[in-house]
Amino acid sequence: MALGIGTFQENYGQDMAIFHSKLQWGSAVVFLAFLFACPLFCSDRVLTIMTMIGISVISVHGLNILTGYCGQISIGHAGFMAVGGYTSAILCAKLSMPFWAALPCAALAAGIAGLIFGLPSLKIKGFYLIMATIAAHFIIIWTIIQLHSITGGADGLSVPRARIGSISLSSKINYFYLVMGIASLATLAAKNIVRTRAGRAFIAIRDNDLAAEVMGVSLWSYKLQAFFIGCVYAGVAGSLLIHYYSFASTDQFPFMDSVWYLGMLIVGGMGSTTGAVLGAVALKLMDELVTIAGPILSAAVAPQAAASLALISHGLIIIIFLIFEPRGLHHRWEMIKAYFRLWPFSHEVSE
Amino acid sequence: MRRIKLAAVASLAMMVVLIGVPATYAKTLYVGGTQSLTGPFAEDSAAVLAAIEDYVKYVNTTKKLAPWRTEKLPDDITLEVLWRDDELKPAKALPIYEELKAKGMVVARISGSPIALALKDRLWEDGMGATSMATGPYYLSPPQSCFTYYPIYTDCMGAIADWFKGNWKEARKPKVAYLTADNAMGKSIEIPEMKEYLEKIGYEFVGIQYVPLVPTSPPTTQLTWLKEKGVDLALGVMINPGSQPTVKEMVRLGMGSFQPYKMTFGVASPGHAVVFAEAMGELGDGYVCAGSFPSWDDPAPGVKFMIEAQKLSHPGKFVNHIMYQGGFLEGMIQVEALRLALEKVPFEKLTPRAVLENGFYRIKNLETGGISSTPLTYGPGDIEGVDEIRIDQVQKGKVVKVGSTPLRHIYTKK
Repeated sequence: MALGIGTFQENYGQDMAIFHSKLQWGSAVVFLAFLFACPLFCSDRVLTIMTMIGISVISVHGLNILTGYCGQISIGHAGFMAVGGYTSAILCAKLSMPFWAALPCAALAAGIAGLIFGLPSLKIKGFYLIMATIAAHFIIIWTIIQLHSITGGADGLSVPRARIGSISLSSKINYFYLVMGIASLATLAAKNIVRTRAGRAFIAIRDNDLAAEVMGVSLWSYKLQAFFIGCVYAGVAGSLLIHYYSFASTDQFPFMDSVWYLGMLIVGGMGSTTGAVLGAVALKLMDELVTIAGPILSAAVAPQAAASLALISHGLIIIIFLIFEPRGLHHRWEMIKAYFRLWPFSHEVSE
Repeated sequence: MRRIKLAAVASLAMMVVLIGVPATYAKTLYVGGTQSLTGPFAEDSAAVLAAIEDYVKYVNTTKKLAPWRTEKLPDDITLEVLWRDDELKPAKALPIYEELKAKGMVVARISGSPIALALKDRLWEDGMGATSMATGPYYLSPPQSCFTYYPIYTDCMGAIADWFKGNWKEARKPKVAYLTADNAMGKSIEIPEMKEYLEKIGYEFVGIQYVPLVPTSPPTTQLTWLKEKGVDLALGVMINPGSQPTVKEMVRLGMGSFQPYKMTFGVASPGHAVVFAEAMGELGDGYVCAGSFPSWDDPAPGVKFMIEAQKLSHPGKFVNHIMYQGGFLEGMIQVEALRLALEKVPFEKLTPRAVLENGFYRIKNLETGGISSTPLTYGPGDIEGVDEIRIDQVQKGKVVKVGSTPLRHIYTKK
């Protein structure tokens, strides 16, 4: 992280810190205070959007660790979310387990599924790994549908409203706090994971797996660790999603969601925790804008054509970012910060 | 810096739009709701939306609810269609529902099964009544506030089985098998209650064959299996892109109601006979569909009404998609629920729950002019609307109504 003028680091502790100055600490505290104050002035609709964004942020963090940091491209993320979601749903609905106990079980189940489907990554990579993760998605969904007596199959499974102790999470505000709390912790954890030995190994594997192996990084161990951690995040997101709907159905985990999660990562900036957040927020907000714009534009064109804007705009945005800003919104954000850091002697910041 | 300023202005504009400015409209009631204009149901939803808009225009212009009805909407009430595209994604449908509710919508709609599963419990908690294009057993787990206007698939299958058995002349038991789409929709008829019902009314159940939702090769193997097993009636849930190639192959193999090997093929409403007959002509003779809508040349007053409403709204363009009829029904149901609620509750005090309890639940024998199988009746726990199921058969390339059988409520999930 670039430092403000006059800020110097004098030891490794300072160098490794997430926040380097009081201003950064202050900004983070103000942001969190603002975020958690949102229910005081935001409508149900905005809270719903923010809750969905929070769940996406958790999921994209997982994909970022797996794909952005470790370079293992996965297009089966929605499938792993389904594992977490259904585990939680079954534990709560069939075994009457409390939500707080089911949530870690969901994370663990998705992590184990990630380990199993991550095994091919030891032998294959690139395009072939993408195909393997796509297959993982369909195998997971097929399995859920076949296990009718446990999962409800195509009919789905009704899930009781989440509770933590005596606190019911049925209200939008309570669920918003839960999701935002977990999303904040997930962001902090993601930021820290990539600063550990494992995180550095992930980056080494992503940049050049052969060189990493020669240096003593165990590809076998670290690739599977990345799959496990990434899928644990997906499991938590899936569980939160299912409990928000109060209903588990395979329709809630469509294949295209996995593609859009990858799109969020591209737009936000791969290999950056901030990027994962920015990407999820940006694409989700754009989704909402397009939804609002559809009926307005339908006066000029057919409703169906106006509605198709969502797909077109998503695709376009991803292409534009891939061409003009492959490092994503995170890089843009860093440039904006650099501009103000140097102000009033700012110059056009390039690379 | 200019780019940063531009980005800041754009972000601000985005926030304003998202937070929204609460609007107050004098005596305006909203109908419509979430639509799936992107994705597999795009064509269906576009027709539904067009129909709701046409019906609302008719009501706003004439204040009448249908040519054959004497009741009127109060003069000071104006209807407005409000919709958003959910892309058939539950994650989009939730905020859309909240947005429309915040705008003052007191009725809702469901655009497909994924949306139904995501919203149904929330709708119930909010006391929001909704019309639904989707129909499935998930609505039968009480209590629910989503109302359909055609029967669930197992009841459609039961209706065809009843009709076929009524026409069975031989002394032996007729043999029945499922020839159904290889997806959740197609497999939804595979419940023990369905098989028990078929056996109870005197069928010999032979087995199941699957056809891909949209076959990429003729289902020769499946059809030959049915022939070898001596099946007399094949039942399934298919959409037209599945049923049309299946029937073409049936004809090639000499199978069908009017073919050397006599076998009747009956499907539930998604395999609309009107669409089928238009595409297949006489090649599709014998095809049976239950729970669908009448053809556009049907003399029913409802069909005439829809044609007139289209002429009023868009004289140069005729929407002939079959789901236009579904949309028209949805418009009728929503407006009727609002009208009935207004009889009991003043406009200012109209809430979703008030419309559910004083509107939807009070809809009894709503005459639709023959668009639905029977007049529609709803109530607490009564969400299927129709009491009988219309059965159509393609004969000489035309859709002919061959019967109507009572709803059997085969699915008993609680």
